[in-house]
Amino acid sequence: MFHKVLIANRGEIAVRVIRACREMGIRSVAVYSEADRASLHVQMADEAAPIGPAPAAESYLRMDAIIQAAHRTGAEAVHPGYGFLAENAQFARRAAEAGLVFIGPTASALELVGDKVRARQTMEKAGIPIIPGMKSSAGTAEEFKAAARAIGYPVIVKASAGGGGKGMRVVGREADLVPALEAGRREAQSAFGDETVYLEKYIEEPRHVEFQVLADTHGRTVHLFERECSIQRRHQKIIEETPSPALDASLRAEMGETARRAMEAAGYTNAGTVEFLLDRNRRFYFLEVNARLQVEHPVTELTTGVDLVRQQILVAAGERLAFSQDDVRQRGHALECRIYAEDPERDFLPSPGKIRLLREPKGPGVRLDSGIYAGWDVPVFYDPILAKLVVWAEDRERACRRMAAALEETVILGIKTPLAFLRDIVTHEAFLAGRTNTAFLKAHFDDWAARPSDPDGLRLALAAAAFAETEARSKPRRGGDGRTRETAPTPWASLGPWRLGGA
Amino acid sequence: MEFEYLVDGVVRKISVVAENGLHILRDGEAELRAEILPLSEEELFLSTDGRSHRVFVLRDEDRTVVFHGGREYVLVHPRRADGAAYRGEEGGTEGGVVKAPMPGKVIKVLVAEGEAVRKNQTLLIVEAMKMENEIKAGRECSVRKVHVAVGDLVDASRTLIELE
Repeated sequence: MFHKVLIANRGEIAVRVIRACREMGIRSVAVYSEADRASLHVQMADEAAPIGPAPAAESYLRMDAIIQAAHRTGAEAVHPGYGFLAENAQFARRAAEAGLVFIGPTASALELVGDKVRARQTMEKAGIPIIPGMKSSAGTAEEFKAAARAIGYPVIVKASAGGGGKGMRVVGREADLVPALEAGRREAQSAFGDETVYLEKYIEEPRHVEFQVLADTHGRTVHLFERECSIQRRHQKIIEETPSPALDASLRAEMGETARRAMEAAGYTNAGTVEFLLDRNRRFYFLEVNARLQVEHPVTELTTGVDLVRQQILVAAGERLAFSQDDVRQRGHALECRIYAEDPERDFLPSPGKIRLLREPKGPGVRLDSGIYAGWDVPVFYDPILAKLVVWAEDRERACRRMAAALEETVILGIKTPLAFLRDIVTHEAFLAGRTNTAFLKAHFDDWAARPSDPDGLRLALAAAAFAETEARSKPRRGGDGRTRETAPTPWASLGPWRLGGA
Repeated sequence: MEFEYLVDGVVRKISVVAENGLHILRDGEAELRAEILPLSEEELFLSTDGRSHRVFVLRDEDRTVVFHGGREYVLVHPRRADGAAYRGEEGGTEGGVVKAPMPGKVIKVLVAEGEAVRKNQTLLIVEAMKMENEIKAGRECSVRKVHVAVGDLVDASRTLIELE
C-alpha cells in the first residue's frame, strides 16, 4: 500500500480524498494555487505544496508542477479527484512515466472513453444499446427521409460541427423534415461555417440514469447500482439519488449488467460510471463513460456501504476487489443536493465572496461533504461547488423529508446559495411522486423566487434586527483602527457596520 | 425605541420596548413579546410564545440580514441621516450605469463608445467560477463610456459601462 498520496484537486473532493487517506494510514499531500492558500483541503492535509497562481491553467491544470510537487514531497500516487486533470489521458501517462501511480483508469482506457465516436463504436460492437442515428450525413432529402424512417420519429436534426443547441431541430413527422433540414443547415452554416447536419433519435423527456462500476486489475468488474441525476440546471446536475424511482428490479439488473459489460468492453479499471438515457418507454441508451470518481458518489456509498475512494486507492495499489457482484446490495434510499455559490433567483449567477456564517446540519443519516468554513473567501476562479448535502433513510419518502429538514438546518450567510431553492424542489409534489426527468426544473421551477416572507417569521426577524441595533447603539463605537474604546466589550459591541461592513 | 426597515420594498415601522426582561415589539396592530439573549457576535437566542429560536443576525451599514427557520430576511436600512445612501441591488443596468453583478474577469467587450444598443443586447461577458455571464442592456440606448477592457478583473458593483 502507498505511504503517501498527492491529491491533485481542491475543495470538497480534495477533503473527501484526504479523509480516506487518513483512515487508511496514508499520508496526504494537498496542492494549492495562490487563491487557495487558506483553503480547507490545505488545512486538512498532512502536507501542502504550492503549484502556481490562481487561474487553474497556471496551477491545478499544470501537469509538470503537480508531478514536481509529488516528487518533492515523496508521494507515490496521485488522486485526481473530479474535473481538472481527472480524465486527462496525457496526465495519466505522464504521471506513470514519472513513476507515480495514477489513481484512476489507464491512459489508454481514458483515451478510448474520452473519444465519443470511438466509445460509441466500441459500445455498438459490444452490443450495448446506443441512441439510434445516422452514421454519417446524407445528401438528398430522400436519403434523409429514409434514414428518419429507419430511426423512427421523433428525430432530431443536429449539426455535425455542433454544440450549444445550434442547428438543432426536433421533427415529429415526415412532412416537417425537409423544412427542418433547411433551417438546421442555415443555422449550422452561420454558427459553425459548416452546413453538414445528421439525424438522431430524439429522446423525449429522458431520465438521466447512471451506473457506478468498480473494476480491479485482475479481471473483476462489478456494478454498484444506479444513480438518477435528472434534476439539472444549465446541463449541470443539482440533485441526485439512488435507487432511481424509474427502475424496477429487472430493468435495474439489465442496465447494471449492460454497464458492467460496457466497462469490460472498454478495458476499464478503477472506479467509473456508465451514463444512460432512459426514455418514457423504459428503453435505455448508452450516453458516455465518466472516467472518474463522480461528484455524486456519496449516494452510492450510503446505500451500498462501499467506500468508493478507499476502493479506488486499493485498486490502484493492485489489490483485488474483496467482493463479487452478488455481495453488493442496495439498502434504503439516499439523496444528494449540491450546494453551489450561486443565486437561483438571478439565473444561477455565480456568487463568490466571504462566508460570514456557517452552520452545518446534523442528525441521523445526514452527511455533509464540504470544502468551506466560516470566514473563508470563496474564490472566483473555480467551479462554484461548495458542499454536498447527502442524506440516507429507509425509503424515498423519508429521505426527502430528511433532506428538507437538513437543508432548513443549514445556514450559509455572506454569499448566495440555493438552499431554499433545493428545499422547494425536494418538497415539490412532482418530485415526491418521483416524476423526475431532465425537463423537471424547466417545467416546475423556471421562474423560481424565494417564497414571500411569512408575517410571523418576518416579525421575529424585525425583533432580532431591532435588538441587535439597540445593542450596537448602546455601546461605544470602535475606532476605524479596530481598537475598542471600552474595557469589557460585549459581543454586540462589535456588531456595528464599522467592523463587519468594512471587512 | 422606533425602528424603520425596508423589507421587500415596503417600509416597516416598528417599536421595541424592554419590560421586565422581555422585549415587546409593536408592528402596527401586532405585538410580539420575546425573551432575547445574545449568544455570540452573530447569534441570538429568541423565545416567544413558548417557542425558542436561534436567530442569526448580520449587520452591515446598509442592511441587516436575519436568518431563522431556514430562511433569510433582508432588512434594508433606510437612508441614513449622514447621507449614506442605500446601495441597492448589486449589479444590473439601472440608472444608465452597468455594474458588475459579481466579481470576475472581463473576457469580451462587445460594444464601443458611441454605439447604439438594443434592449437585451449583450454588452460584455464577464467570466466567474468557470461560467460566462452575459451582461445585457436593460433598454435601448447608446454607449457613453466603456470603463473596462478585456482581461480586467472586476469587483462586484464596479462600473463597467455608462449608457445614455
